[in-house]
Amino acid sequence: MHSMEKYFDVSYIWNSLPILLPFLKVTFMVAGLSIIFGTFLGLILAVMKLSKSKPARKFANFYTTILRCTPSIVLLFLVYYGVPALADNFGLYLHDLNTAVFVVITFTLQFAAIMSEVIRSAFESIEKGQFEAAVSVGLSPFQAYRRIIFPQALVVALPNFGNGLIALLQEGSLAYTIGLIDIVGKANLIIAANYNTHALEIFIALAIVYWVISILIEKFFGKLEKVFSKGKQTINTN
Amino acid sequence: MSEGLNYTFLIDTFFIALSGVPITLLVTIVALLIALPLGFLLALTRINQVPVLNWFSRIYVSFVRGTPIIIQIFIVYASVPLILSLFFEKYNININVYNINPIWYAFIVFSFSTTAILIEVFRSALSTVNKGQLEAAQSVGLSNFQAYRRIVIPQALIVALPNICTATVNLIKATSLGYAMSLQEITLKAKVAANVGYNYVEAYIDIFLVYIILCSLVEYGFKLYEKRLRRYKYVSA
Repeated sequence: MHSMEKYFDVSYIWNSLPILLPFLKVTFMVAGLSIIFGTFLGLILAVMKLSKSKPARKFANFYTTILRCTPSIVLLFLVYYGVPALADNFGLYLHDLNTAVFVVITFTLQFAAIMSEVIRSAFESIEKGQFEAAVSVGLSPFQAYRRIIFPQALVVALPNFGNGLIALLQEGSLAYTIGLIDIVGKANLIIAANYNTHALEIFIALAIVYWVISILIEKFFGKLEKVFSKGKQTINTN
Repeated sequence: MSEGLNYTFLIDTFFIALSGVPITLLVTIVALLIALPLGFLLALTRINQVPVLNWFSRIYVSFVRGTPIIIQIFIVYASVPLILSLFFEKYNININVYNINPIWYAFIVFSFSTTAILIEVFRSALSTVNKGQLEAAQSVGLSNFQAYRRIVIPQALIVALPNICTATVNLIKATSLGYAMSLQEITLKAKVAANVGYNYVEAYIDIFLVYIILCSLVEYGFKLYEKRLRRYKYVSA
């Protein structure tokens, strides 16, 4: 027992938490921007997948397949080294760009692929008859989408959107590899400052933080789903 | 500033990246061989509400799904040598823990995470098989084991297959994090080759291509297998 304490000291877990938690701000900022841009790009891709144009469908499906097969860390470094190199060809110097920008680009590209599938499958799950019925009672196609299709698709998409968020947050933990000082980056700095001792305790603290956030997101989306499905049921019973 | 791509390096490094494929596949296969049966058994504990194991599986799945794999790797890579060295010290075994091949850590981490993912896959697949199927099988005289092997598992497998495919592709992708354990897989091999002349763009293009080829082949293989299983389904129906 005596020698164990030399290597493992629980107090390091509790003491590191107040130092780590402020850096969640960076983690959330990067994730938040990726979610906003990624959802927007994902919507465009989903529209392409659902469109009548064959090249548009092909392109969007190809994009999703490629992104699904690429490990996050590979995409991250491809963007980190590739974007400035590509920009050189256009006379743009992007080598000094803030690392957060590369992280946001990477996870926007990745989240868009996830979201395009979430949105596509949600819309496809809504019966075609719903749209036709709405138009036949005098709604414009836009109104039919806004009032009839969208609210139903949202309920279907919600759990998948929640899972996408959790996945994004977890993949985002790799941003430290290109030097972003988010919560994982800070954890590695703490370990370096401790001369690589007590790394395990810091990593456990990190795991606890991520675990709690994931559970909270899951719970939140579970609640949200209930709220939205409630409306669905009253429509059905009336 | 612009020098363009170094095509000789691009081609040479493609084969270096390719030489990491066997390690990637070995880790993937070992992890699946451990995770498939273990995940199935633990899924059964969830479905049949086995007292302690059910509770254990829930927390286990929640932890793996709630934490990034890189942090799971950090934890295993920091804790296993610690536990082993204490164990070796206690029993006077003369093995240096730092000489252990990193592939053993990779086996542990990736089996650990894949098992949890597969518990969920099997749980949802098994719950799609009608309970009456099991009862019907038992009522015609099959033992519980026979009923599962002959009736329940084949049906659940068809439902589970697309998710097992996704889990396998995610596992292959996750092995790219083996660099954190100095595992000599695709990513690390190509990266090391790039260190000499800073040809990182070329190296990552190669790594990117190798993963796309590998994952496409795996997805294609699963599709073929799924087709075969479905054919049996129609024959028996």
